[in-house]
Amino acid sequence: MEAKVLDSWVMAEFATPEALVSATQQMREKGFQGMDTYSPYPLHGGSEALGLPPSRVPFIALGGGLTGMVTALTMQTWMNTVDYPLNVGGRPLLSLPAWVPITFELSVLFAAFGIFFGLLGLSKLPQPYHPAFESEEFRSASTHGFWLSIPHPTGTDAADVKNQLTALGATHVTVVSGENE
Amino acid sequence: MTAMERYTGTPKLMVPAFGLGVVGLVLTAVGFFMNPEATAFSYLLGFTYWVGISVAALIMLAIFHTAKAKWLIVLRRAMETMAITVPVFAVLILAFIPLMKYLYPWIDGSPLAAHIHGIEVEHLHHKKEHYLNGGFFAVRQAIYFAVWIFVSHRLYSWSTKQDEAGGLDLTVKQRRFSPGALPFLALTITFAAFDWLMSLTPLWQSTIFGVYYFAGSFLAAFCLLTIITVQAQGKDLYGSLVKVPHFHNLGKLIFAFTAFWAYIGFSQFLLVWIANIPEEAPWYGLRMYGSWRSMSIAIFFLHFVLPFFTLLSRKLKEKPRLLAVAAVYMLLMHAVDLYWLIWPAFSGEAGPTFHWTLITAFVGVGGVAVGFALFRARNKYTFPVKDPYIAESLRYVQP
Repeated sequence: MEAKVLDSWVMAEFATPEALVSATQQMREKGFQGMDTYSPYPLHGGSEALGLPPSRVPFIALGGGLTGMVTALTMQTWMNTVDYPLNVGGRPLLSLPAWVPITFELSVLFAAFGIFFGLLGLSKLPQPYHPAFESEEFRSASTHGFWLSIPHPTGTDAADVKNQLTALGATHVTVVSGENE
Repeated sequence: MTAMERYTGTPKLMVPAFGLGVVGLVLTAVGFFMNPEATAFSYLLGFTYWVGISVAALIMLAIFHTAKAKWLIVLRRAMETMAITVPVFAVLILAFIPLMKYLYPWIDGSPLAAHIHGIEVEHLHHKKEHYLNGGFFAVRQAIYFAVWIFVSHRLYSWSTKQDEAGGLDLTVKQRRFSPGALPFLALTITFAAFDWLMSLTPLWQSTIFGVYYFAGSFLAAFCLLTIITVQAQGKDLYGSLVKVPHFHNLGKLIFAFTAFWAYIGFSQFLLVWIANIPEEAPWYGLRMYGSWRSMSIAIFFLHFVLPFFTLLSRKLKEKPRLLAVAAVYMLLMHAVDLYWLIWPAFSGEAGPTFHWTLITAFVGVGGVAVGFALFRARNKYTFPVKDPYIAESLRYVQP
């Protein structure tokens, strides 16, 4: 089996969300790419500091909603006019008003599916292992720590990056290596 | 950046607005002597359109106080000014005294009563007389306007007092008062919609009708707020303080209430359509078939489908100028929607007809209302300068 090249990250912990956002902004301006932030709760200005492109989830949601709408309309049309035509109080077989509630519900359901699974897919979740978990201190990212990760070529000296992060206010800096999918 | 002072430029706009309003109302009065029936319905449209926006702004204000919303504080004075305009409608409703008999078949001496035929129909009309009669109608109008004027004046006077005094206690008062006022506001606008619009067809009834009128008015109020905010550029005006996230929120609210309007409208329609009972079905029958059919379909697409998909775009909602264009369009569609509610009671099978008083009454009521709003806004700050949370509102970003 071919030996897999390990990936490495420099991980830095910050005490406050403001420090993390400002450090992320400055590291990005220095030209670092592929960074990511970790915080126990949603981070104000985090995506802007990382320079992330607009999310693609809304389009997946729209696609899901339209799929749901078309599915519901065709399903009800087929059932009520072809498969099992039933005269209800003399109303026409193709009674669109009666189908709107189902159409609405299915559009909402499929749009929600689009958001849920689209978000999981785009975030590459579920992901039970990531090399970042190699660092014991990284546990604080789910309670009180604000972390920044910067990709770093494996085996080279990370002292320069570490010093830069410390200068920006990092309280703890470490390097993790591991196999990334 | 210069300091924000009290706005002194109102007379420049107030005089033309009042002038236009008075000319419109005078022409409408001329129309009354030429064609009293058509003029009565035109005036009802103009009146319900503008008073709906004013009361919706008041409800919106109370809701935001109840929710302790901070992002909109920079927009709040504009909303308060819209709400404080409500006394002018207490005067304008006096025109109902000569007009009512041409609008409502249930009033004594109405020429429309001649159309009520058959013992069963007469019996049903008779059963509604306890509610639908001139005296009780007048009492109800007095109650509605008393509630609206009281609530809007309380909130406005605390808010403007805070411009001088500052401090948290006046904010606390507004936030305590608003949730208590909301049930009264909700009931009054519901019954006002029943009285003004639903009783045009006395035998038709729909409990959700008040919400339908409210939904359209709410949408129009947000549109008007957006337009005012985009236009409020210049010395001592708050427009330059309003940033993209505020407009994005306004856009989201316009979008939400476009969907809400359709949701309520369809809920009302579905129940009537599926039950198909003789008292209710004719109201929709008139609009669904024959000469009103194409207009009903057009309203569905132009008041809901088109704006829904247009306003889905985030980019549009974040561009104030484009959003203002969409808001102007929705304000126009709200007028069309009210026309669709009111006019069939006048023209019936003849379909969508036009009478020139539709324009004069709309401009007349609107001009006087806008003029009065500007009269109230003169020499005031255009946003609550000493609200304790104003700084948070100014630096608001999307959560």
